[in-house]
Amino acid sequence: MNVEVRGLTKTFGPASAVTDLSFEARAGIVTGFLGPNGAGKTTTMRMMLGLVAPTSGTATFGGRRYADLSHPSASVGAVLDSAGFHPAHTARDHLRVYARMGRYGPARVEQVADLTGVSAFADRLTRTLSTGMRQRLSLATALLGDPQVLLLDEPSNGLDPQGIAWLRHFVRELAAAGRTILVSSHVLGEIENTADHVVVIRDGRLVTTGPITGLYATATVLARSPQADLFAAKLGQSGIRVERRQPDLLRVHRLSTAEVAAAAASHGVMLHEITPERPTLEQAFLDLTGGSG
Amino acid sequence: MSALLAAEWTRLTSTRLWLWGVLAALGSGGLIGLLALVGPENFTPPLPGLDTSQGTHVLLGLLGFTVFAPALLGTIAVSSEYRHRSITTTALFAPRRWTWLVAKLVIYAGAGLAYGAIAATTAGASLFGVATLKGITLGLPAATVAALLARIALAMAVYSMLGVAVGALLRNQVTALVAVGAYFYMIETVLMIVPGIKALYPYLPGGATAALTGFTYLADAIAGQTGAAEAHLLSAPAGGAVLVCYALIAAAVAVVAPLRRDIM
Ligand SMILES: Nc1ncnc2c1ncn2[C@@H]1O[C@H](COP(=O)(O)OP(=O)(O)OP(=O)(O)O)[C@@H](O)[C@H]1O
Ligand SMILES: [Mg+2]
Repeated sequence: MNVEVRGLTKTFGPASAVTDLSFEARAGIVTGFLGPNGAGKTTTMRMMLGLVAPTSGTATFGGRRYADLSHPSASVGAVLDSAGFHPAHTARDHLRVYARMGRYGPARVEQVADLTGVSAFADRLTRTLSTGMRQRLSLATALLGDPQVLLLDEPSNGLDPQGIAWLRHFVRELAAAGRTILVSSHVLGEIENTADHVVVIRDGRLVTTGPITGLYATATVLARSPQADLFAAKLGQSGIRVERRQPDLLRVHRLSTAEVAAAAASHGVMLHEITPERPTLEQAFLDLTGGSG
Repeated sequence: MSALLAAEWTRLTSTRLWLWGVLAALGSGGLIGLLALVGPENFTPPLPGLDTSQGTHVLLGLLGFTVFAPALLGTIAVSSEYRHRSITTTALFAPRRWTWLVAKLVIYAGAGLAYGAIAATTAGASLFGVATLKGITLGLPAATVAALLARIALAMAVYSMLGVAVGALLRNQVTALVAVGAYFYMIETVLMIVPGIKALYPYLPGGATAALTGFTYLADAIAGQTGAAEAHLLSAPAGGAVLVCYALIAAAVAVVAPLRRDIM
């Protein structure tokens, strides 16, 4: 089930939060939805789900608007940071209420609880849960209907490193099984190993969209070689920008590590070290999204 | 719709709200018993005793005055969803928002009826108990007492629906609670002083409630103060119907206006 956003716009009084935003999220891949704080990610997701009425534009899931889906919670699951729980409900109570609402059996409650690690605190009152536990409970609720599309708004908020690694793996598996996943984040690093595609927005407008490797276009690779002079010359001849950092260390622009290795091999150059410059990747994102975001 | 009803039922029974409801119902019924034990003749100012029809009427009327409590429970049911933001998930699972509002109205009408049944049974049992204890007979025939109690129980069911509707309309828990309380205990009484409004009294929630519960103390008092002829109340079924209309109007307004608002 593909997700299509067409010309979404939302104005709050005089201020516009999202302006004429269009993008797609396809089945079978993870789409990262990136933008600095206040870029309009949450507002966009809320409009997609019919929680906030768009000023104009549409969002469809397999061609239908969210409210027109015949069984919405079985088609689309969402984890939104603002969703809450009744403080006097246990985690299991919460799941039971929404399982009833979506017509899913009691067995499904236990399944999603096991799947998300909620089982460990299923009988605790939601008011006593930590941020990470609440995040897991939100995810469990979203998964009740085994939906084909998942919208995750900053899902790693509050998760510990194991939790983040688990979520990353989980999201990749779902995508591999043909699900459509849209994950928002304000930090590229958080989803660079998860997302295949990215949609980058700033001030409510689309900045760029495409494969995540596209962001590497502005990235750099450090290459250490005893034949640095030769390598720099050869790369220079191919029109590739190279900086000399140290006598034996080159900074190669706009090539991936694989491309640098291939180039070295084709020129018979020996490499001692080859390192992608990760801060530069983040820098590429910051450049795109306008600096200090 | 059956899934939504089941979900609301689970929501109601999995918190202690229902327990508080049962306690409040027992309490308000028991309070009538306590007042009967004290005896209306010992109130300040003294009222006719339990063995007079008026005395029994007064005590039953006081129970009718507690219809406010089930209304509050209905209000809390909706406004707490906004307060604790579970409304987001509810709206995701049931994007057509009127559907879950209707489910809440139905479930809380039932819960209000149960509340009323408990309160009325407790009150009835304690009235007859106190009468036996004091060696007197109630001033009203048992059948009349039972009928009046049943009407109060019914009023409580309708008030629960009103509470749900007001909660959906105002969304903010405190505002909704204050609005419901202020209206029934103050605003309507103040309105009565305006001459024109008085003619409308039978159709206002208070007047309709008085018709349904058969407790006309307020109407009589107003008639007495203003020296006007006693206000004519609607029949009990008509009063009940007027109350249901108020609940439906409030629910309809809640559906067409605030439920369309953005859920942030
Ligand atoms: N209810 C509202 N009323 C007025 N302005 C709002 C409202 N909700 C959001 N905004 C504004 O819309 C813009 C986008 O906000 P949004 O929450 O969608 O950003 P975001 O990308 O999710 O940010 P973050 O990374 O901080 O979560 C912001 O400027 C915000 O102040
Ligand atoms: Mg956000």
